[in-house]
Amino acid sequence: MSNYIMPILIIGLLLYGIIRKNNSYNSFVVGAKSSFDLVLTSFPYIATIFVAVEIFNVSGLSIIFSDLVAPVFEFFGIPRQLSEIVILKNFTGCGSLALLENIFTTYGPDSYLARAGCCIVGCSEAIFYVTAVYFSKTKVIKFRYAIPVGMLANFIGAIVSAWICRLI
Amino acid sequence: MGFGLLMINNVDLAMSSLLSGGGKAISLSLKLWGIYAVWLGILKIVEDTELDKKLAKLLSPVIRLLLGKVDKETENQVAVNITSNLLGMGNASTPSGINAIAGLDRGSRYATSAMIMILILNSTSLQLLPTTVIGLRTMAGSATPADIIIPTLIATVASTLSGVLLVKLFSKIFKDKP
Repeated sequence: MSNYIMPILIIGLLLYGIIRKNNSYNSFVVGAKSSFDLVLTSFPYIATIFVAVEIFNVSGLSIIFSDLVAPVFEFFGIPRQLSEIVILKNFTGCGSLALLENIFTTYGPDSYLARAGCCIVGCSEAIFYVTAVYFSKTKVIKFRYAIPVGMLANFIGAIVSAWICRLI
Repeated sequence: MGFGLLMINNVDLAMSSLLSGGGKAISLSLKLWGIYAVWLGILKIVEDTELDKKLAKLLSPVIRLLLGKVDKETENQVAVNITSNLLGMGNASTPSGINAIAGLDRGSRYATSAMIMILILNSTSLQLLPTTVIGLRTMAGSATPADIIIPTLIATVASTLSGVLLVKLFSKIFKDKP
């Protein structure tokens, strides 16, 4: 059933384009072209996170980390395998995609961990990154309660993700 | 520190794991490139048919409720900003977000509660369709890649709602500084 959602929306959009006499072919080509820039800007972050994750896992640091931090996450119902995504998600969105891809290969894309991971990645953005970029045109240097509120809201999103994927 | 530990623990694995990280990054980026090409193409159709402007118009009462009194230009920027988030146009939302916050700038060192509200709306990003994640799941061979739409929607509403309420609460406790 859910597999129909995307195709139906896209067909609807194309029909709307015909009604509005928009050249959808040209629009699509122009849009697709901008994917070059996007993939070039995100690649360095993805590469950095993948390499860091390899070091993190192979050095045994991930086990130490897991033993220290995971119990807190598990207390709120977030599985220990997803605790790294929840933390990294605050700093870099592309980087958390790298972790999600690792979850897909290890546990399969239809596993509970993969679905909950998708939810966590899909429900929020990197608060540190967004703050740095969005205030870049202002003189503001005191962000007051912005970062703590952003992190807390993301954490609540992660808790809800972990629970909701157990139910549906 | 991690690298130091790695060198001591497992010298043989050190180089090969570094390079395998780089290799994985390339294969993920290629997948993402495909997904971005499709979705940025589709979103450009949304933009050119001015469907996003229609959505933005529907949002203006909500924006007034969240931000209080702001000028028309800022309101428009925030509307575009939220709409692009809703449609999963994360990167398209950045310029409008920057402009919206710049429009509220008073030259002060301190962020106002309206600025923080815009920021939190973006960081908790209310997304209707998590297109990138669905694309990655499809490519990984999932049988029902889109079945995360509803759970993600519930989670994103929860995080946005708690973010908005927290900002409202904190803006009552800590008054804006000059």
